[in-house]
Amino acid sequence: MSWFESQKLGEMAPGTKVIIYSLLWFWAFVVVFPLYWVVITSFKLPVHVSDGPDFLPFIDYQPSLHAWKYIFIDLGSDTFRPYLNSVIIASISTVFAMIFGSMAAYALARLHFQPRLISIVLFLIALGLAAYAAISFGVDWRLALALGIAVFFFLVRALQRVPSPRLGNGDILFWVISQRILPPIVAALPIYIMFQQLHILDTHFAIILTYITVNLPIVVWLMYDFFVSIPRDIEESAGLDGASKIRIFFEMALPLAKPGLAATSLLVLILSWNEYLLALFLSTAKAQTIPLLVAAQNATRGPQWWYMSVLIIIMIVPVVLLTILLQRLISKGLLLGAVKG
Amino acid sequence: MTVVLDGISKSFGNTPVLHGLDINVEEGEFMVLLGASGSGKSTALRMIAGLESTTAGKVFIDGRDVTEVLPKNRNVAMVFQSYALYPHKTVAENIGYPLKVRKLPKADIEEQVRDVAGQVQLLELLERYPRQLSGGQRQRVALARAMVRRPAVFLMDEPLSNLDAKLRGHMRTELKRMQHNLGITTIYVTHDQVEAMTLADRVAILEGGKLMQLAPPKDIYNDPANLFVAQFIGSPPMNLLEGSLAPGLFTCSDVAIPVNNSARVAQATLGVRPEDCSVVAPDAGQMNATIYATELLGDHTLVTATVGDSIVTVKAAKDYEAALDTPIGIAIESAALYLFDRTGERLR
Repeated sequence: MSWFESQKLGEMAPGTKVIIYSLLWFWAFVVVFPLYWVVITSFKLPVHVSDGPDFLPFIDYQPSLHAWKYIFIDLGSDTFRPYLNSVIIASISTVFAMIFGSMAAYALARLHFQPRLISIVLFLIALGLAAYAAISFGVDWRLALALGIAVFFFLVRALQRVPSPRLGNGDILFWVISQRILPPIVAALPIYIMFQQLHILDTHFAIILTYITVNLPIVVWLMYDFFVSIPRDIEESAGLDGASKIRIFFEMALPLAKPGLAATSLLVLILSWNEYLLALFLSTAKAQTIPLLVAAQNATRGPQWWYMSVLIIIMIVPVVLLTILLQRLISKGLLLGAVKG
Repeated sequence: MTVVLDGISKSFGNTPVLHGLDINVEEGEFMVLLGASGSGKSTALRMIAGLESTTAGKVFIDGRDVTEVLPKNRNVAMVFQSYALYPHKTVAENIGYPLKVRKLPKADIEEQVRDVAGQVQLLELLERYPRQLSGGQRQRVALARAMVRRPAVFLMDEPLSNLDAKLRGHMRTELKRMQHNLGITTIYVTHDQVEAMTLADRVAILEGGKLMQLAPPKDIYNDPANLFVAQFIGSPPMNLLEGSLAPGLFTCSDVAIPVNNSARVAQATLGVRPEDCSVVAPDAGQMNATIYATELLGDHTLVTATVGDSIVTVKAAKDYEAALDTPIGIAIESAALYLFDRTGERLR
């Protein structure tokens, strides 16, 4: 018997079975118990929480709808507005991150890019100069940016014949994912200042734009693997049948990467839905999202566990429903029968 | 439509895979590119399709220079070794896809799909998905998809190699009949010499990215241009003896065989096909040998014998029987001898 051979539970020795089942039950408990605790806490009065720990409704304490009433009726629009904000921001940013990200991933998977290293260096120099001019000499940032772009194009043309090593798709891909290596807090302040200058702080647009940007690397990285695994023959065949590149992308690559699309969009949606740090920087009232509201329940009066629990529950529910819905799509075997047999 | 390859070359990085290939495919011809793996035959086909760029040379289809034309604008249809069916589309959608891309009206598409599906016996399966089909059925879907839009040229990249032996033989016949009926110029890539010999009007044999011989199957077999072709075609392969050639006489170790050639070559190779040899009594043939093994193959017996250091295979009658190590003579039809020089070129 090998360690790496999978075995059916039913065929195991009784002793092994007991150990495996107890481990599984233990882990299920670890995972499910906090959820249970949140649910029962949402039906507690503050006094039950401070007297606590009480775990059994109707036995340890009398459940109350006090917290639910407060969140849905007393707070009312102050609950629904962030909730709606979250729905709008998470869904729109996910849709656009998926569109741009999968297109970029497809291009990286199927086309050969050979950017010259020198062009990239020149771009960074021009960008640095523009930033320096804007910050140190108070040049209008729009002017500085325009000048920087102009300088970049001028230099690229002027140095066209200078020999330079070329980068490949792998380098681009690594650069894309390296954007995720950066801790978000590093970028949060510059993004804040940038949007402040543009006067779009506390708008849906600003947060959506930010979320698209931070989620793009994940989409590109994950979708790249899905696109690469599609047999080239299928796309070449479609090309010979008369389809254009863009048509092949939409009619062949995307449908065949459906499991990947479902899994990736779910992940990105959850990341946007739960995102706290950037939303904290970029919104004050109008564009506030639901994670901020949850955090706000720990204010001057101390943590309001009962309100927080209600908010957490209504925050989790749509994600759980969506996961169940998309699970059928995230199944394998879609490529079966395409090539060979 | 004609297809002309005019000195096409291809290198992947620093690795050359095709060296100035010249091939003229005539209108309605069935041309087979035959070669071992790595011979560049698939690359040549993909260059005709436009799936690979050319490093040098030009490709003409129907007189038009298509070297820089995108695959979708070349009006060629290709059957891939893997079939490359669209797994998320039904059989009908697969076959109709080239027409859908060309924006034909729905009713026309449906009619033409049914028409083609009828020709390859797929009418019952139109609503199925590729994953629900057998290998042979998938193969027919790929064929139907290529046929449906009546392309200028059919390109086929080892289309039968994923089928089992019996089905392969059947599909080979069907393919030949279909090509004859449609009269569409076909370029077919294979490593299987039986497919090449049975299907082709002309065979182009490729090795190491070079054209070895381009001729009808009969000539390829009976009149090989060089040692490579002579060895490559024929099963079991041609017997080869290394020796030297004096005018009218080939000698190797202890064998001297009179030949119809007046050249004098220090290092020469003599070739003779197993079916042109026969087993005779010792000293009655041109050479003496010892039986190494006999194999009954049904319609004939293959006798492998040692002649000096060399091995000679003889196709004998099916009822031939002899003990191993029996000394025998081997008679050769003198008209069926092939001579090659040191570089493998034919000596005539």
